[in-house]
Amino acid sequence: MISFLQYAMRQAFQNIRRNLFPNLTTIGIIGISILIFSALTLISLNLSSFLKIWEDKIEVIAYLKKGIALREVENLLRKTRQLEGVEGVKYVSPFDAMAFLESKLGNQKNLLHGIQIGVLPPSFEIELKKEFRNSTRIKEVVFQLKQFPQFEEIQYGQEWVETFSALVHILQLTQWILGGLFIIGIVFITSNIFQLTISSRHEEVEIMQLVGASPAFLRVPFYMEGVLQGLLGGGVAIFLLYLLNKIFFLYIPLPIQAWLARVPIQFLPPTMIFWILMGGMGLGFFSSFVASMRFLRYT
Amino acid sequence: MIQMNHVSKNYPDQVFVLSDISLEILSGEFVFIAGPNGSGKTTLLRILFGAERPSSGEVVVNGMNITERGFDKVYALRKTMGIVFQDVKLLKDRTVNENILFALEVTGHSRREARHRASEVLSRVGLQERERDLILNLSGGEQQRVAIARALINDPPLLLADEPTGNLDGQMTMDVMGIFTGLHRNGTTIVFATRDVDLVKRYPHRIISLSEGRRVDARKDGEVRAGE
Repeated sequence: MISFLQYAMRQAFQNIRRNLFPNLTTIGIIGISILIFSALTLISLNLSSFLKIWEDKIEVIAYLKKGIALREVENLLRKTRQLEGVEGVKYVSPFDAMAFLESKLGNQKNLLHGIQIGVLPPSFEIELKKEFRNSTRIKEVVFQLKQFPQFEEIQYGQEWVETFSALVHILQLTQWILGGLFIIGIVFITSNIFQLTISSRHEEVEIMQLVGASPAFLRVPFYMEGVLQGLLGGGVAIFLLYLLNKIFFLYIPLPIQAWLARVPIQFLPPTMIFWILMGGMGLGFFSSFVASMRFLRYT
Repeated sequence: MIQMNHVSKNYPDQVFVLSDISLEILSGEFVFIAGPNGSGKTTLLRILFGAERPSSGEVVVNGMNITERGFDKVYALRKTMGIVFQDVKLLKDRTVNENILFALEVTGHSRREARHRASEVLSRVGLQERERDLILNLSGGEQQRVAIARALINDPPLLLADEPTGNLDGQMTMDVMGIFTGLHRNGTTIVFATRDVDLVKRYPHRIISLSEGRRVDARKDGEVRAGE
């Protein structure tokens, strides 16, 4: 078994060396396809984590109607805390709201001179449970809040969350559709290139068949060749993506860099890199398998 | 060793390449399959090593019924026989030794085992001194001897040869025939297809004659047999 694997490995490397151009073409095609797929994955991953961070900060602000008695506010506060999906509720009085606005305005807080405290309405800042901090489930909480007539208006940045979430979903969909198309393309192109390499080795194949080489001896080196090409193609793609990622951060303008520094931009995690490489190997194997089924039949 | 019962072979929209061939070759025999070009010699051999399926009839080789040729059966069958062709089918850009080692490795021999076996089969055909030479640098007769050496790697009880002397001149033909005679003397069954009538006459072996896909045998005494 070990000598068979040694043989298959040696043959696979020899085949790659002897048919360098078609093999480099295959590695290049696999590499470019995986690079595009990985780049989309990287963008999608970062947007998703950005969305996640943003979602973690999602809270609902419910503005109370003016003139509600304090006892009624306390009663409403208790009822709101009991709603499904609500983690905690903080009452913000008009005085607190004005203080917050002043702190936000900083040096320009004198703009607020002459404005009465009562102008700003009292509100509830509602913190949601983790599983409700997304564009779908937040609506469930908002729906329950709307049943209380004491609330004048309920805000939760709905449009922003929904638009961003839709963008991430479109990107993920594009990634998988493109991924699927690339898989079909890679299998078609590389299995045809494999056909060429098999043709260029027809004398060897014929001799193998004549001396009684088993189907495994005939085919496994081709499968290994495919797996190696997939691995190399995947490796090249990850390496190029890493370089592009670095270059991107080197050449973007400083103000954007400063803004990005606050956002945790990440490269593909090791498990994802592992699965991309495995995917490349799987693609290489499948392409060589398709080619061998068509062109490595015993005659 | 070989049994063919009423074997015919035809291709779609073509006349019969082989028609109702029955024959039996016993273990240890040396049999010539003789006939002119297009008589069906090569097709008959191709059926014997599983490269073609008969259109009708039954074929048993080395105890395996290969009539219904299956993928697994073919390679198992070919391990029990050696095959030699007129066009040697060697890897011309490699050395003598590399050609033999390649055949040994793809049939499951370890590298060490293969090296030992390669020098053994090359010495059987008298080429151990030329093992490092490229096939391109060998004469036609020497190339055919390498092909015979390769056919011997599995120590087969049966050797099929399709016009192995077809491209060789007189002396080279004698050298190659000497190797086949030696192998036969050691017990190997040999089926030798040739169109060379003079060659057939020189050796006292049984002849199965084909003409236009049919058996038209004549014994050495001139008696024509319609089939066995």
